[in-house]
Amino acid sequence: MSFYQQPLLWFLCAAAIPVIIHLLNRRRHKTVQWAAMQFLLKATRESRGKKKLRHILILTARTLGIAALATAVARPMVGGLLGWGASQMDTVILILDRSASMETTAENATASRRALAIDRVRDAMKSLDATRLILLDSATATPQDIPSPDILSEITNTRATDSAADIPSLLQQAAEFILETQPGKTEIWIASDMQYADWDKESERWTTAMATLQSIPQKPSVRILSLANPSKSNVSMRIISSLRSSDDLLLDLEITRSGDAVAPVNQPLTLALNGVKTTESVIIPGQSLRFQKRIKLPEKQETGQGWLSLPSDANPRDHTVFFTYGAPHPVKTLIVSAAGEATTYLSAAAAPPGYAAQSCETIAPAQFSSKIGNLSDYAAIIWRAPFPDQAGAGPLTDFLRSGGHVLFFSPMENSTDNFMDVKWQPISTAPDGKFFILQQWNQDDGLLRDSLSGTPLGGKTFRSIKKQVPEAAVGTMSTLATWDDGSPFLTRIIEERGTAWFFASVPDYTWSNLGDAHLLLPAVQRAVLAGVSRFDAALLANVNQGDALPRNVEVRKRLDDFTVDATADPTFAAGVYLLGERTIAANIPAAEHELLAIQKTDLPALFEGIKFRTFEDTASSTTDNEEREIWKFFLIAVLFFLAAEALLCLPKPTSAAVTSNPSPLPSR
Amino acid sequence: MSNLLDHDLLVRLGAIPVEARLPMLGNVAGKHRSPHRGSSVEFAEYRKYVPGDDTRRLDWKAYARSDRYYIKEFEADTNLRVYFVVDNSGSMSFADKGMAKIEYASRIVANLAYLFVNQGDAAGLSVCRDTLHIEIPPRRRPAHLQLISQTLKNLEPKGETGLVAALHAVAEKVGQRAVIVILSDLFCDTPALEEALQHLRYRKHDVCVFHLMDPQEIGFQFDRPHRFVDMEDNTTLVVEPNLISDEYQAALKEFLSNVKAACHGVHADYQLVTTDTPLEPLLRDFLLNRLPKKGKR
Repeated sequence: MSFYQQPLLWFLCAAAIPVIIHLLNRRRHKTVQWAAMQFLLKATRESRGKKKLRHILILTARTLGIAALATAVARPMVGGLLGWGASQMDTVILILDRSASMETTAENATASRRALAIDRVRDAMKSLDATRLILLDSATATPQDIPSPDILSEITNTRATDSAADIPSLLQQAAEFILETQPGKTEIWIASDMQYADWDKESERWTTAMATLQSIPQKPSVRILSLANPSKSNVSMRIISSLRSSDDLLLDLEITRSGDAVAPVNQPLTLALNGVKTTESVIIPGQSLRFQKRIKLPEKQETGQGWLSLPSDANPRDHTVFFTYGAPHPVKTLIVSAAGEATTYLSAAAAPPGYAAQSCETIAPAQFSSKIGNLSDYAAIIWRAPFPDQAGAGPLTDFLRSGGHVLFFSPMENSTDNFMDVKWQPISTAPDGKFFILQQWNQDDGLLRDSLSGTPLGGKTFRSIKKQVPEAAVGTMSTLATWDDGSPFLTRIIEERGTAWFFASVPDYTWSNLGDAHLLLPAVQRAVLAGVSRFDAALLANVNQGDALPRNVEVRKRLDDFTVDATADPTFAAGVYLLGERTIAANIPAAEHELLAIQKTDLPALFEGIKFRTFEDTASSTTDNEEREIWKFFLIAVLFFLAAEALLCLPKPTSAAVTSNPSPLPSR
Repeated sequence: MSNLLDHDLLVRLGAIPVEARLPMLGNVAGKHRSPHRGSSVEFAEYRKYVPGDDTRRLDWKAYARSDRYYIKEFEADTNLRVYFVVDNSGSMSFADKGMAKIEYASRIVANLAYLFVNQGDAAGLSVCRDTLHIEIPPRRRPAHLQLISQTLKNLEPKGETGLVAALHAVAEKVGQRAVIVILSDLFCDTPALEEALQHLRYRKHDVCVFHLMDPQEIGFQFDRPHRFVDMEDNTTLVVEPNLISDEYQAALKEFLSNVKAACHGVHADYQLVTTDTPLEPLLRDFLLNRLPKKGKR
């Protein structure tokens, strides 16, 4: 609460007048000689608390009436971040969410959520004289002393960024700052759009942060300025993956529309490739569109960069994606298998005729040891043999961890060897005239997922005479396809960045028609492309995370020609950067495109043991005077207290009064 | 204390006889009924003649009618003694705006004593503080009134109330039936007072109580905190009268009710009087109320 006429608050001292008069009255008593003392003594003994309470209530009503009048004259205003209950503080630590989603403009608003938050904090700080303001922004995560709240909107550390925010870590940092500097009575203010990913309520950092806050002797309280009000219509775009395939660059993109818009909409999509811009239109059929953009790369140009952009809307920062590409990486697959029909099929699937960029190399299991040192060159390894021994298992595991994919097919013989705690069960054969049929498979995930156009793979025509099912402890593998008897056909183990796939059959005519069916080729190609994508994955990064951060003495230089927003913080802007000798396309983290916000009901669990208050900001512009005068309320309070005082002072209806009875004399 | 007697009042009340409610035993003939048979004109009863009776008192007409000897007896008329017992404790000096209770009591005593003596009765005075400290025996002489008046004028209330002990002492000392008029604020233990009154009644005295109170003691109207100093033992108490007025009134009401019940319990005349009450109506009503009802004596 702030006051328009703050000096008039001195009149609050007048509230002491009734008390002073009361005390003076008590001191200035009159002395009288009194005869009927016995009644006085008895009355004093029997005078109960009820009457004293009534007297105290009268005094309180008088005092509060004057206080309310003085407050009303000072024209109190409420609203703003401080709202009710603001008290004098020594220090305010402002945790400012500068994530990309904070650049969204709310419905009927004229400024971004971040700008609104800064405005609210500046106004609130003005009414807190001599309170120190420490800024802890989500991008730099470094406490910064702000000499005056007026400069909040001008300093670099409050500008827009394309980064994400980690609210629990920032809270932990704020708690550590308080512990180290002991700034006195402190409040932590969090200005955020409450985006689910930024708050990460599942994170264990919350526990640590709350424990640190609770260990502070003068426990700080938390005020949360929630800016989660609905945004204007917004279309965002993100890049899922980038893969150079020969002279083409394949970009997996996702466009998402905010709100409940479902009607198809045509949007111009601008492509800038090495400075050359072209525009085409893209139709967004519903709320989101996931598609692969194939970009023909210029000849004789091994490296390059560019960006794709949609028209600007409610959030000017989330509709552009940046990419870069390097020289094409050879797509090599290593097949470890004894010669035979199965090996032929697998070779054809790994390097189909006509795909010059893809090649495969087949070796016998015994020769695997010779390839151990070169495994990092391969996109994928196809293993149709008993599991490798210990000497081979180690490098194979390392290959998986580095992001490679290994496809294990049945060894076509009974084996007791195991790899990653998986071993093959004995071969089982279908009864005469019967087949093992693929019952169901995961059409959304894994190697047998539907195509980008939604067309399912031809698993229904797959028949198998024999099967050899991989076996592992419960929970080790996840099953992606099952036979009609319920046993698994395709299982998966994710080992860090790579994946091991296990097929319970082989493309051999004595086993199945896997080679003929339309399963083997897409499955192997997907594994190979996923394996090779690790070579290009290093070219994409999230702003202010991982590879996008300069290492050691790397100098950062922006390469793309996208129009730079002068009001944004260039240090944390998306774009294509040259970092030393590395070229990185830094984009907005995928989570920043999510529309999900943390619920208000989740906050008590997160701030367990810490006093916190939430303020919903529904203002539409930075010039809105959110504070409103409430002097009328205090005038009503004055009337109320005066009425209460009058009621309490009303004399009680007297019962039969004691009177003398001089005449006539009572008869005996 | 100025002149206690109000001559105009005495002139107006002089026509009303002062009566006793009970038969009195006096030394001389008077206006009051005696328990003994006497020679007044008021017929009392017939009784059978027994040897030794004065034959002059035989009712010959009754003998003529019934052939039996009857003695005709008449009421005896005698004078009475009235004792005024005045409380002279410290509390009797209380006066808020008007007359002090002791002064008011003195005026009642002086005027009633005049009326009693004027019709041939004897009036005496007992004054008590913590003990009975002034005793003027009853006399019929008009000059005796001067002594009583002078004594009343010189009264200086002080000390604690010894009314109960004084009444017991009066009961013991006054052998013959008398009218005992008590003038006090009765700020004493009510059960003890009741016992003292019973003692007086046991001695066949006609007891009248003038309960004197100041209007302020009844109204208890103060507008600010006061320091009350007890007039008898100087105890002090600082209170805010507004806060305790209800409790004070309740205690007072209970006290008055108890006192009234105690007086009525012993068939004593009880009169609560505030010091702002005019004297004439008070005394006139007192005298008229004591007149025997029609057909009774």
